[in-house]
Amino acid sequence: MAIIADAVNTAIIGKGLMIGGGFIGPAIGIGLIGGSYLQAVGRNPEAAKFLGQALIFVAIVELFGLLAFASIFIVK
Amino acid sequence: MIGGLLTRFAEAGPTVHVAPHEVFSLGGLTITNSILYGWVCALIIIALLTWVARQVTLRPKGGLVQFIEVGVDFITNLVENSFDDKKVGRRYVPFFVTLFFFILLNNWLGLMPIVGEGFRSGEAPLFRPFTGDLNGTLAIGVFTMLLVYGASIRESGGIIKYLKHFFIGSPLNPLFLVIGLLEMFTDLTRVLSLSLRLFLNITIGEIVIAVFAYLGSVAAPITALPFTMLEFLVAALQAYIFTILSTMYLAIAVNHAAEHARHDSLTDDDVPETIGVNTGAVHGRA
Repeated sequence: MAIIADAVNTAIIGKGLMIGGGFIGPAIGIGLIGGSYLQAVGRNPEAAKFLGQALIFVAIVELFGLLAFASIFIVK
Repeated sequence: MIGGLLTRFAEAGPTVHVAPHEVFSLGGLTITNSILYGWVCALIIIALLTWVARQVTLRPKGGLVQFIEVGVDFITNLVENSFDDKKVGRRYVPFFVTLFFFILLNNWLGLMPIVGEGFRSGEAPLFRPFTGDLNGTLAIGVFTMLLVYGASIRESGGIIKYLKHFFIGSPLNPLFLVIGLLEMFTDLTRVLSLSLRLFLNITIGEIVIAVFAYLGSVAAPITALPFTMLEFLVAALQAYIFTILSTMYLAIAVNHAAEHARHDSLTDDDVPETIGVNTGAVHGRA
């Protein structure tokens, strides 16, 4: 492992994995929220007024992706 | 001209600063570029809203005044409808309207080319978005949550009564104790989640614009424009989300306290069987 660490800058690989892995989850989550919202609107068009509530959940989910992004500044 | 500024913004590669720079020192206090920008924004918002407040007429004249009126109306409805008692909600409207406009103006003016790397004083950029600095958003988050805690303690009538709300049963029961302590901890993390969300969204927007302006080199205005437009949307969305989340934190605590107070004032004789079915569930289904 030490040889690999000398030859390759492992921090960049770590950052890449962190960004990739950390963004997959929120991407799926936001997709699910948007899909459910559209499904609800399709079934009952009066539900369209709940867009604000859907956006709150987007914000909550999105935070975890942002935290993964913030973590790349810690990896040296 | 915009193109020239945008290419200057990108000339030294996508250099990204996450920490603010010191511009000057005021009697031992370090004044960073984000503080400077925050002051400018605060002055603009005070002047603008004071002017608009005098311009409001019964018959709207249109233009900027009406735009701000629509925003104020939107936040007012949002805050008032979150509370069970609209009179209680009305008390907190001014704070949330100011909060919304401050964050919105900060985010939108932060997209201007003179804010950020394009406009330097010496080594450091002269301005930096106040919301793109963790110190700034942390200050906003801490003060918002202090208001929420203060208001919740006042509405529930004493700190002991307020702390009681975290426990669903007697705190002597170990399960309820652990759940209550966990609830308290979750409440404290709201400061961090509020401020980190705003800070990271704005900073990531700056980084994305910087990277795409760099990749475009000569065609920087064309490559960076779509992301600047996207950031306009994100900036408005984040201002809305910050406001509605802090409103919800306050409304949940205050509504809960009001419900308890109503419950305490009733004696066993006049408690109907259906007291558990409150209007909230009905509203949710309607």
